[in-house]
Amino acid sequence: MLDTFEILTTSGVVLWSRTYVPVSSAVVNSLIRDVFIEERILPQSDDAGHKPTYRKDGYTLKWTTSKDLGLMFVAVYQSLVHLTWIDKLLDNVRALFTGLYGDQLKASHTTKLDCSKFTPYFERQIHDLEGSSDSTTPNVKLTPPSSTDADSAEESPMKAGALQKPQRPLYDTSADSTPVPTPDHSRPTTPAQSHLLTGKSRPGARLSRRDRKKASGISAMSSGDEASALRRGKSSIKRNRVWGEFGADEEDDSVVLDYSQGDIQDEASGADALQEVNPESWGHKTRKGEFVLKDLGEEMDQIISAEKSKSQSTGTPSGIVGSGLGAIGGLFRNVIGGKTLTKEDLAKPIKGMEEHLLKKNVAREAVVRLCESVERDLVGLKTNSFTTIESTLRTSMEKALAKILTPTSSLDLLREIQTINSTGRPYVLSIVGVNGVGKSTNLSKIAFFLLQNHHRVLIAAADTFRSGAVEQLRVHVRNLQELSKREGGSVDLFEKGYGKDAANIAADAVAHAAKNGFNVVLIDTAGRRHNDQRLMSSLEKFGKLAKPDKILMVGEALVGTDSVAQARNFNASFGPGRGLDGFVISKCDTVGDMVGTLVSMVHATGIPVVFLGVGQHYADLRGLNVGSVCRLLMS
Amino acid sequence: MAWHDEDSWLTAAFAPKLSTVAVALAVTVLLPILLHLYIYRRATPTTLPTFLLLGPSGSGKTALLTLAERAQAATTRTSTSPLAVEALLPDGLTPASSSYRSAGDPAFERARRFQLIDTPGHGKLRHYAISKLANPTNVRGIIFVVDAASVADETGLNEAAEYLHDVLLALQKRYTGAKTSKGPTEIPVLIAANKSDLFTALPPHLIKLSLEKAISNVRKSRATGLKESGAVLTADQGDLEEEREWLGEGGEGPFEFWQMEEVGMSVDVRGGNVVGTDGADVKTWFKWIADQL
Repeated sequence: MLDTFEILTTSGVVLWSRTYVPVSSAVVNSLIRDVFIEERILPQSDDAGHKPTYRKDGYTLKWTTSKDLGLMFVAVYQSLVHLTWIDKLLDNVRALFTGLYGDQLKASHTTKLDCSKFTPYFERQIHDLEGSSDSTTPNVKLTPPSSTDADSAEESPMKAGALQKPQRPLYDTSADSTPVPTPDHSRPTTPAQSHLLTGKSRPGARLSRRDRKKASGISAMSSGDEASALRRGKSSIKRNRVWGEFGADEEDDSVVLDYSQGDIQDEASGADALQEVNPESWGHKTRKGEFVLKDLGEEMDQIISAEKSKSQSTGTPSGIVGSGLGAIGGLFRNVIGGKTLTKEDLAKPIKGMEEHLLKKNVAREAVVRLCESVERDLVGLKTNSFTTIESTLRTSMEKALAKILTPTSSLDLLREIQTINSTGRPYVLSIVGVNGVGKSTNLSKIAFFLLQNHHRVLIAAADTFRSGAVEQLRVHVRNLQELSKREGGSVDLFEKGYGKDAANIAADAVAHAAKNGFNVVLIDTAGRRHNDQRLMSSLEKFGKLAKPDKILMVGEALVGTDSVAQARNFNASFGPGRGLDGFVISKCDTVGDMVGTLVSMVHATGIPVVFLGVGQHYADLRGLNVGSVCRLLMS
Repeated sequence: MAWHDEDSWLTAAFAPKLSTVAVALAVTVLLPILLHLYIYRRATPTTLPTFLLLGPSGSGKTALLTLAERAQAATTRTSTSPLAVEALLPDGLTPASSSYRSAGDPAFERARRFQLIDTPGHGKLRHYAISKLANPTNVRGIIFVVDAASVADETGLNEAAEYLHDVLLALQKRYTGAKTSKGPTEIPVLIAANKSDLFTALPPHLIKLSLEKAISNVRKSRATGLKESGAVLTADQGDLEEEREWLGEGGEGPFEFWQMEEVGMSVDVRGGNVVGTDGADVKTWFKWIADQL
């Protein structure tokens, strides 16, 4: 069963919600955080026919949005239950809600919206959809709880009303061949359809309800003349009893009249609306309540079909004159602003933007994703006055870049070291990466930075493979020791020579550091090709044994599209539950303004860039300034 | 007929006919009226005094906003976009600027209205807030909402302190970087310690102390931390030394909120709760708002 359904605005106010089983607010919050803000899970397009899903804590969440009104519709249900009709429910509720409250939602400077009237609409939708999905199998839930024989007489006129709805498709299909029925319902002997219907309503108790359900199922599926003939034959036996009991009931008559009018209306509104109508909706309502519901259903269907037709009609241009004027107006508006953006308007500027970003060395995959997210943001939006589409796109892209590059959590290395050290153990930082990107160089730069802050640093040479790797580190350490005399702090090298297992050396180094009062351990690892399974698999063991507090991956700014694969493979190589904690992008000084690698890597993994290497000296290590990188990329 | 004929429309327009006079009169009288009505309708309403709601995600900004608007907090979720609403000061509170007005005065009623702007508090979406801070037109005050229960532990405190540090630094930069001789308007800051009804919540004075301490730490680690890439990447080899600004008293000694008064900010910490078992308790915050109006 559905647990919760919520309608909320992008600004976070829940406008309307229906809770069947209380669900922690953390579930919806994490959906918003992971999907809408951090975009960790990419929403699939609606074209697939399925709404995107998100799973959390045993719940499955499905959602849809209404961009122009800034609304989100979220349905939450237990992952164990498989609900097929949620997609339809989301669509219908969106159409209903925007249809009913669209105008009120456009009012600015307010969050007030009285949605109390929406509950019956929603209930009705649930009933309809549940009914339609269960029509093949008898559903226990839908049997009214209090239907004894005593009040079956009272209920029957209500049923008569409800009954007409399943019959309507039948009525329609035979309408071509039979003459239009007269509104005169008092003559019981004429074989017009309306009489048939009231005749059918006679059997009072549950049995008939099942029959009806079946019948409606048949009529919905086949809706042939044969079925109608069949039913006619069946019901003819009971026809007399109908009119014996209710012939005098004026109200019942008026009801029938009323519904026959409703039939005509529905005929006009088309087959689509007819399918929405469902027999199970009468449930356990009173006679009066049924009438209300009936109207509600019709109104609902009208709203939904109106919204549907609206969304369809917007796609098609309206004639030659209309399109001509539209084109001129569009050109004008393009300059002056106030134009509502469509996919077609955006196609060309977005193409240009794509090219531009590709030139900046952003990987194609990341470009496509950025452009899609920008397009999703902009379609249906109105440009501000005196802004062109291009400039709107530009600001939007800049925002998207800033969003993707901004780290979610704090990247204060010094504070982290302090926190870890206060628990009495050394802070372990390890560096991984492809061959020749500058792992050792950046490691010593980080060591220098830590020495400046008077830390006692132990550098572990866990690259036991490449000849000269240990010697290289020894040179760095010697230099750093000289420098640390001036700067404070102390540094030492931990090495076990070549050919040993890197993971064991790392673990030993951590133990050594703990014993000798070092408070930071920096572990250098061997460079490895990210698509070599044999080399990458040893990283998992390394992660388990050395237990680094932070694993940084060094990537060079020179690399192009491969950066995405590098970041992904390294992120996945530490086994489940452990990934990279950040990137160091080296050689940033060599690429000028083509700093796209940053975006590609962050896009692939959602992991922030911690450091940038910007030169050959120990001090040439920088933090990331999101604003300036965005400006570089957009320039 | 041509335009220069005896009974053409042009001749009629200049002739001393009654109809011409009537039309001319109508135009002269009606045109200004219509113009006035049109412009009057189009004119933007007078800008209200604005209060910015800042703070980390999940501290209760949107809930406070809905409470101010409809006197009852709505259920809220994580915000992804900013929101501005008009709100009315609750009964019993007098705006500081109209303390001598009588209750029936329309000016008094007008003075009670203010605008609240909610910003998303998630780390990736703070640029809304920061851009608002860079150009705070009509901003009378900043309400920085913190979760009084979550600042009790290290991570929550650090997040709040870092955000608050950035906000205060932005405000200080605005003050010190002002070009006019008059100096920019002062923007007071209220630190609203929300959720103080919870058992684990810290009292306001403790929150003040721990925030001050945490901000000192933030400032210290910023000072010792790495420089940002900005100048290196954009400028070729030119001025690599960028000017840095430190929060309060040049970045020396422990940070305390009173130091901000030098740069036109008074920082106040007050406790309250937007939702709770025995209703909302936001009297102190509204009183603060009333003092700024």
